[in-house]
Amino acid sequence: MKMATIRVTVAVAGLMAAAVIGRSQVSYNRILKAAEEPQNWLTYSGDYKSWRYSKLDRINASNAGSLALQWAFQSADLGQFETTPLEIDGVLYGTGQDNRAFALDARTGRAIWRYQRPLPDKVQACCGMVNRGFAALGEHLFMATLDGHVMSLDMKTGNVIWDVEAADYHQSYVFTVAPLLVKDKIIVGVAGGEYGVRGFIDAYDAASGKRAWRFYTVPGPGEPGHETWAGESWKTGGAPAWITGSYDPELNLIYWPTGNPSPSNNGLERGGDNLYSNSMLALDADTGKLKWHYQFTPHDLHDYDSTQIPVLLDAPWQGQPRKLLVQANRNGFLYVLDRTDGKFLSAKPFFSRLNWAKEIGSDGRPVVAPGSEPTPEGTRTCPGALGATNWFSPSYSPQTGLLYVAAAEECDVFTNAPQQYHEGHDFMGSVYVPASGEKTWGALRAFDPFTGEKKWEFKYFTPPNGGCLSTAGGVVFAGDSDGNFLAVDARTGKDLWHVQIGAAIYSSPMTYALDGRQYVVIPAGGALFAFALP
Amino acid sequence: MLRVRSVYFAACAVICTVTWTNQALGQEKEIQNPLAGDPSAIKEGSSLFRANCSPCHGLNAGGGGRGPDLRAGVWVHGASDAAIFRTINQGVPGTEMPANPFEDSEIWALVAYLRSVSTGTKTPVAGDSAQGERLFFGKSGCAQCHMVKGRGGRLGPDLTRVGAARSVEYLTESIREPDKELSLAMSDPNNHYGIPAEYDTVTAVTKEGERVIGVAKNEDAFSLQLLGQDDKLHLFLKKDLRDVIHERRSLMPAYTESRLSNQELQNLLAYLSKLRGEDR
Repeated sequence: MKMATIRVTVAVAGLMAAAVIGRSQVSYNRILKAAEEPQNWLTYSGDYKSWRYSKLDRINASNAGSLALQWAFQSADLGQFETTPLEIDGVLYGTGQDNRAFALDARTGRAIWRYQRPLPDKVQACCGMVNRGFAALGEHLFMATLDGHVMSLDMKTGNVIWDVEAADYHQSYVFTVAPLLVKDKIIVGVAGGEYGVRGFIDAYDAASGKRAWRFYTVPGPGEPGHETWAGESWKTGGAPAWITGSYDPELNLIYWPTGNPSPSNNGLERGGDNLYSNSMLALDADTGKLKWHYQFTPHDLHDYDSTQIPVLLDAPWQGQPRKLLVQANRNGFLYVLDRTDGKFLSAKPFFSRLNWAKEIGSDGRPVVAPGSEPTPEGTRTCPGALGATNWFSPSYSPQTGLLYVAAAEECDVFTNAPQQYHEGHDFMGSVYVPASGEKTWGALRAFDPFTGEKKWEFKYFTPPNGGCLSTAGGVVFAGDSDGNFLAVDARTGKDLWHVQIGAAIYSSPMTYALDGRQYVVIPAGGALFAFALP
Repeated sequence: MLRVRSVYFAACAVICTVTWTNQALGQEKEIQNPLAGDPSAIKEGSSLFRANCSPCHGLNAGGGGRGPDLRAGVWVHGASDAAIFRTINQGVPGTEMPANPFEDSEIWALVAYLRSVSTGTKTPVAGDSAQGERLFFGKSGCAQCHMVKGRGGRLGPDLTRVGAARSVEYLTESIREPDKELSLAMSDPNNHYGIPAEYDTVTAVTKEGERVIGVAKNEDAFSLQLLGQDDKLHLFLKKDLRDVIHERRSLMPAYTESRLSNQELQNLLAYLSKLRGEDR
């Protein structure tokens, strides 16, 4: 035991001497300017605008074909490895399934430490015992766990600094989200939309773990929006918030998307718009106070969570410079909002067979197609419950001006049925199945983010569960559900390179640089793979 | 929040965390359903069934693409309350039936529901199963593509336990109208490896114009692993192919009445419904 400890200490010391020169801490200021130090990856989406874009250009369209495996790290469990690791000054920090976490030498993939918070038997997560990653500040990492805790770990050892219970997992409140660090606070959103939770977004003091604020995504009695829930349905209204938001420091606003109302397929007992389900929320970063909201899919009946990454762009809109927010939504529309006030600007379909709505009206409300709601016998509706896209990351490249989105082409048959709420149990109001006899597939697509015009697509054989990364090298990296990790030309979508890594990819790539070499990292199955030029 | 294709997959994804907690273990015969006949339990069981079981067993338990009819009173893995409880809780190893992380009370509600829709009569399928077996391995040609206990062809699904896994209605439709719903392989229910689950007819067209017809064992954006009608594995890179055509039909011919009389069909069904894989 003692030997092991000494060995770890030596390894860390060696690494610091080699890779950490004058910097061993992640300040808020560094995260603010994360895009300016592309050798590191300091926050879940790469920067606060959530572009998942890197200025690294060592790997480019003409040499990507030579990419080769540098190392692989085996976590523990085969399954959905959803983390986006952070890379900070030569060390990678990631989370795994079943409350696991690890730190790796970014040059070799050798583990510096491993941690697992014990996972109680009764934890229920609808879609896998997953986690999407850390946030970092100072010398500490922050992780939200499946059993409803928020934790701070020491970067060099994995030692627990603080550990607070945010919510009761017995009631199916679980965390899968990678936290967002803003100033001195850790922001997290809860999951559990399949179990009738009352969703919330929390902020914790990074130093102490004390809760700074909580915003309930389902308003309680007396709060604005409460009237959008019939009877007592708000108590089990869902609207979880399980994907990492974005942040505008000038406006001091956090943009955090929310998920489906519960029960997802049966709206009979939750009449009304069901605010703030399937919405974009703009919250004051210091107080958690709601500045504005925009609801993409009022009174949703198809599990169209809006938990897709909000991409922040500053660009002219109809001749005027505007602060914009762009989101490719699970309901099949690509939205543009003004992020100062939430004003709806446009929504264009990016799913060819979309049939649940005719359009999004000029007032920002969908014109819902008659007969698209679930019935006891089933109604075929497109997109399916998997969505036109989903939680996995899009990417925006300022070099091409294009937004890259992994899209799924699937229609489902949705049924509904009354269901009584039982604490900690499934609460979906029936079921959906893929529409019979229809081939499902997917694609990596490039769009003009403002007009919604599709510039190219690279076809996937099956609907994807992995997102994408774009770089100044003019390359888009992405992973498909058939186990292919690939690099395509950012301008044309042409396949530059691909490799079969043996398991469906349930994550989005990230990149960093060390010793003048650019690495691209992707998790799949139970392993993390790092690729670079020879 | 759900983002997998069906609740069935979601249930599969958490199997690893399930702990066997029920009291029935080792004392199956004695345990009776405490909720038997309880109307509110039947109602709860009905909604649980729709949400969790119907993707395979059909909306009203009448059988679906992957699961047998549960109304027929045929309980292959045990007919007692305790045995059905165990089947739901633990799943059936070696089959497509997964373990399910329900509370005990929920399983009893499901059992109450299933009893409420079951006819409770175990009627053997009419027909001469010996004649059916001769048809299967003889003039109907089924065994050219289907295997039973290691005997037969390999292009179509193995039918060693098809009588336990599929309803008679499903089998009838598969024989008379095989294109109506393509059979599912379900070798990767959690979608961890991206293995396609269908028996679709796929034609690969080479650059030279050669057409190879078969069933895709796997496929992605870059390659195709085809089991050809010639009984050979063809491993293609898509860049070497001119086209890959998914025909959305079964390779199996439709056995219409001119090909298989109603009496022959009945004999064949009697044979297939007896295939339960016990003495494999």
